[in-house]
Amino acid sequence: MARTASRNIGQSIPRLEAREKVTGRAEYVHHLRLPGMLYGKIFRSTVPHARIKSVDVSAAQALEGVYRVVTIDDIREAIPHPYYGPAFHDQPILADGKVRFAGEPVAVVLAADPHIAQEAVGLISAEYEELPAVFDEVEAMSSDVLVHDVLKPAATFPDLKHLAGRTGTNVALDYHLLRGDPEAGFAAADHVFEHTYRSQQVMHIPMEPFVSVADAADGRLTLHTASQSPSFVRIEIARLLGWPENRVRVKVPYLGGGFGGKLYIKLEALVTALSLVARRPVKVALTMEEQFFMVTRHPCTFTIKSGVNKDGTIVARTCKVVWNGGAYADIGPRVTQKAGFTSAGPYDIENVEIHSYAVYTNRPPCGALRGFGAPQTAWAYECHMDEIAEALGMDKVAFRRKNLLQNGRPQATGTIVQDAALEQALDQVADRLNWNEPLDRGDGRIRRGRGIAVGFKGITAPTTSVAIVNLYADGSCGLYISTVEMGQGSDTVMAQIAAEVLDMDAAAIKVVHPDTDVTPYDMGTLGSRSTFHMGTAVRLAAEDARKKIAELARELGLPEGSNLPLPELFRRKYGMQAGNIIGTASFIPKYEKPDAETGHSRNATPFWGVGASGAEVEVDTETGHYRITKLVNVADVGTALNPKLVQVQLSGAGIMQLGFTTTEEMVYRDGQLTNGSLADYKIPTLLDIPPEFINEHVDSEQKDGPFGGKGAGESTTIALSPAIGNALFDAVGVRLTDLPLTPEKIFRALCEANGTPLAGE
Amino acid sequence: MKAPDFDYVRVRSLDEALAALAAHGEGARILAGGQSLVPALNLRLLAPEILVDIGGIADLSGIALADGTIRIGAMTRHADLERSPEIARHVPLLARAVREIGHPAIRNRGTIGGSLAHADPASELPACVLALEARIVARGPSGERTIAASDFFRGLYETALGPDEILVRIEIPAAAAGERFAFHELARRHGDYAMAGIAALARDTGAATLRIAYFGIGSRPMLAAGAAAALRDHGASEAGAAAAVRALGADLEPQSDLQASAALRMHLAGVLLRRALKDLFPDAAGGREEEIA
Ligand SMILES: Cc1cc2nc3c(=O)[nH]c(=O)nc-3n(C[C@H](O)[C@H](O)[C@H](O)COP(=O)(O)OP(=O)(O)OC[C@H]3O[C@@H](n4cnc5c(N)ncnc54)[C@H](O)[C@@H]3O)c2cc1C
Repeated sequence: MARTASRNIGQSIPRLEAREKVTGRAEYVHHLRLPGMLYGKIFRSTVPHARIKSVDVSAAQALEGVYRVVTIDDIREAIPHPYYGPAFHDQPILADGKVRFAGEPVAVVLAADPHIAQEAVGLISAEYEELPAVFDEVEAMSSDVLVHDVLKPAATFPDLKHLAGRTGTNVALDYHLLRGDPEAGFAAADHVFEHTYRSQQVMHIPMEPFVSVADAADGRLTLHTASQSPSFVRIEIARLLGWPENRVRVKVPYLGGGFGGKLYIKLEALVTALSLVARRPVKVALTMEEQFFMVTRHPCTFTIKSGVNKDGTIVARTCKVVWNGGAYADIGPRVTQKAGFTSAGPYDIENVEIHSYAVYTNRPPCGALRGFGAPQTAWAYECHMDEIAEALGMDKVAFRRKNLLQNGRPQATGTIVQDAALEQALDQVADRLNWNEPLDRGDGRIRRGRGIAVGFKGITAPTTSVAIVNLYADGSCGLYISTVEMGQGSDTVMAQIAAEVLDMDAAAIKVVHPDTDVTPYDMGTLGSRSTFHMGTAVRLAAEDARKKIAELARELGLPEGSNLPLPELFRRKYGMQAGNIIGTASFIPKYEKPDAETGHSRNATPFWGVGASGAEVEVDTETGHYRITKLVNVADVGTALNPKLVQVQLSGAGIMQLGFTTTEEMVYRDGQLTNGSLADYKIPTLLDIPPEFINEHVDSEQKDGPFGGKGAGESTTIALSPAIGNALFDAVGVRLTDLPLTPEKIFRALCEANGTPLAGE
Repeated sequence: MKAPDFDYVRVRSLDEALAALAAHGEGARILAGGQSLVPALNLRLLAPEILVDIGGIADLSGIALADGTIRIGAMTRHADLERSPEIARHVPLLARAVREIGHPAIRNRGTIGGSLAHADPASELPACVLALEARIVARGPSGERTIAASDFFRGLYETALGPDEILVRIEIPAAAAGERFAFHELARRHGDYAMAGIAALARDTGAATLRIAYFGIGSRPMLAAGAAAALRDHGASEAGAAAAVRALGADLEPQSDLQASAALRMHLAGVLLRRALKDLFPDAAGGREEEIA
């Protein structure tokens, strides 16, 4: 793309906050101590589903140094309807008569010393009348065990309205799409394939655990919180309190990782209630272990069926996707819908039917996690693609290429695909794997193989970003946005965009961190949306500021193009160093709500996230242990506004997904999490990164994105798992359908394939 | 989480340490490198009254060779074993095994005495000292006693040490000419505790002195005596190897956990044995093999 060289766009400008962070000066909520602040420690349920008969807090209350022990009854005094959630108002601030998962908060001890609070938690006891529980998403679809008696959708989601008051079901949302006539497609197809794949429950593991501080006094509330969505926090807390938004102030400094976990309301409702009850500032900071009970990623069971002709054309596909949402809906219904509509994969298929269900179970809640469901669906459709190609005897890349959606063609919703470099990404991965060269597969106990996969995702819509560019009297610039800098580099990229318009250096721009009293609305730092949405708002706000500078120059009678420096303009206008130029803009992309029955929409997504992955593996057939010798990820990020930051996003997402693919899984026994610590729940370390680890972006452009850019934070999560699963199959000829891909599963599959069961079984 | 409250004393001599243990009985815990004890405290699996830090007792660390025996002080760090030329020369099995313990930061702090006293069944060093026929020297109120490694490990995190005793050193016969060893382990991630591992030693070129120890399989490190006997009887031929693998069924009591099922562990024990035999007896068993841990 011919673009004139810019000092900002396309430059790997070092992160603005790098020095602050590496010198340990960056502020995080964990550091915050307010005068008179109390610490809250949580007493949690030990059973997955039960009626609470009684909670005995007397011994805890009696411990010296304990300020107060709080249960839901106390919270009701401050907040009469203490239920919250972004999609359903289903989550009580503390357990209310019932517990719905083991680990659910039941009571909180407040003390000036967190260690005393923790000790007192150990003195609380609860009596439960246990209820039958349901943990598996498919079982929960038809189980008599009901996690909630009645569905309580939030008013903020008009498309959930029809679910209000529904009883007798665990299904929190059903999403449907129909295109063409799949049954007729299957009937006419040469072959029909059907497979079921499962993804496991995993967790975000931000290195900074969840933490919030509330300071309520004199009818006002200030929240300091590690949140990805300060604007949402303000709206939801104001709703809970029945207060106007301007009495709730939400401040977010840097975040030590979010990955979708720190979205919507997490600890904020609890600390707010505690501060109101105690009339003191209150901080709740989770331990690493407690994070497993806050929010997790949806387990998913996906049955996919395809009708395929001899020449490899896919003519029909049906998808039944069941999402295990855990005990509270969180944003699960949105995951169900957004990942639902792309669950047939990035292929041009005439007849498609999709049913996607969000289901309640008695597990910790599931919400957004880097990829927003796309990795779970791609795990299924891209393994399925390989199984079909294998059965047809077709080359796996050629089979995909034949069916790939091209720009200008309608996706299953009917939305015309634009600026989605699917084929480029696939080809680039194939190229890096030397796909057309033979691979030495080995013939002894070590076998080698390679696999490839490609996927895409839609972006949450419609969502709004607002930006303010403030030029001060000396001409320097503050950028006021509610985008949260959580390690992804948003401060730097947003400054680059503003600087490009204002003809400044990005490093000279001060990015003001989210403070709802100061920075304007943003829907949230989530789902790869910030660069595209906030980036556009920032560009428009900077253009607005430029327009106002020109107006000021005209007002001062200066000739067009006089180019007087801004401080001089201010001096001429105000007679001294004074004044501001304030540029503002908001951005909401075009969107059409999908039809409730057919799922059709002419504008289902603001843009497409595209990722392709490839892997080479070596498998020890005697043990099932394997080594990923090469891992390639290629994404379409539009124009790389900051290539270095793009690199870090792609590799970071890749390493995260590598853990979700190979080692990570929340394991339960009778509804109890058995590996809820980093000793037993194994995330990849630096040494587990494949020796050859290539992350690249294709040369592309998002034409309606800011300077051609779009989101980059999730693309490499999409296709990585199936690339590895497909490589394992290629190496040893066994197909694993359930994540994670453990050596034991591989070895057992080999035993089964060879008809040599393990001794003793 | 953070540890429950405890008192702390840093002692300067063994006598002081023994006195502290005598004074507090079961309420006292020795603190060596802290790499197992401190995590256990933080997870609140233990709540001792007092920690007796033996890190300041100078004569508890060090490696010395005398009269064909290597003596390793209990406070000798994993990293010291890793870098020691004496260990590399005279106890090459230890030099090999110690590299697999956790990560550099852990090896910088963790000690051999702590590892043996802690007796994690998935730890490398306990199995090594079994294979090496080491003697473990403990000091208590009534003086020193020597415990054979094969009598030391009693069960899950359980040893022959009394609550009033301190492990002071380990004595290992220095490697003789012609001695061979084998060491293999399988783990889920780099640096993890083993899900199955083997440490084997033959004091001469034949199978007569062969000792095979396993870790990460059962509730304690275990000697596979039956398998060793089968190899003594049949040699390291294919027939011997097959008989040895069969004998493992009686030698081992594999357990299921998050990392692997008991049945898989039993299978892996056999695989590791065959690999070990290839290292020990390359002529009989045919060449070494590449490993994907
Ligand atoms: C992340 C991590 C990974 C690890 N990975 C591995 C691994 O892969 N393999 C492995 O083997 N180990 C591993 N370890 C443990 C490490 O090797 C420890 O150092 C070792 O198990 C204990 O040694 P220590 O000196 O730290 O003992 P401490 O933790 O101080 O003590 C452990 C126990 O032994 C007792 N004790 C210590 N010294 C004596 C003594 N002289 N006499 C009597 N009792 C004593 C203590 O009272 C305590 O009960 C890991 C540890 C961590 C934190």
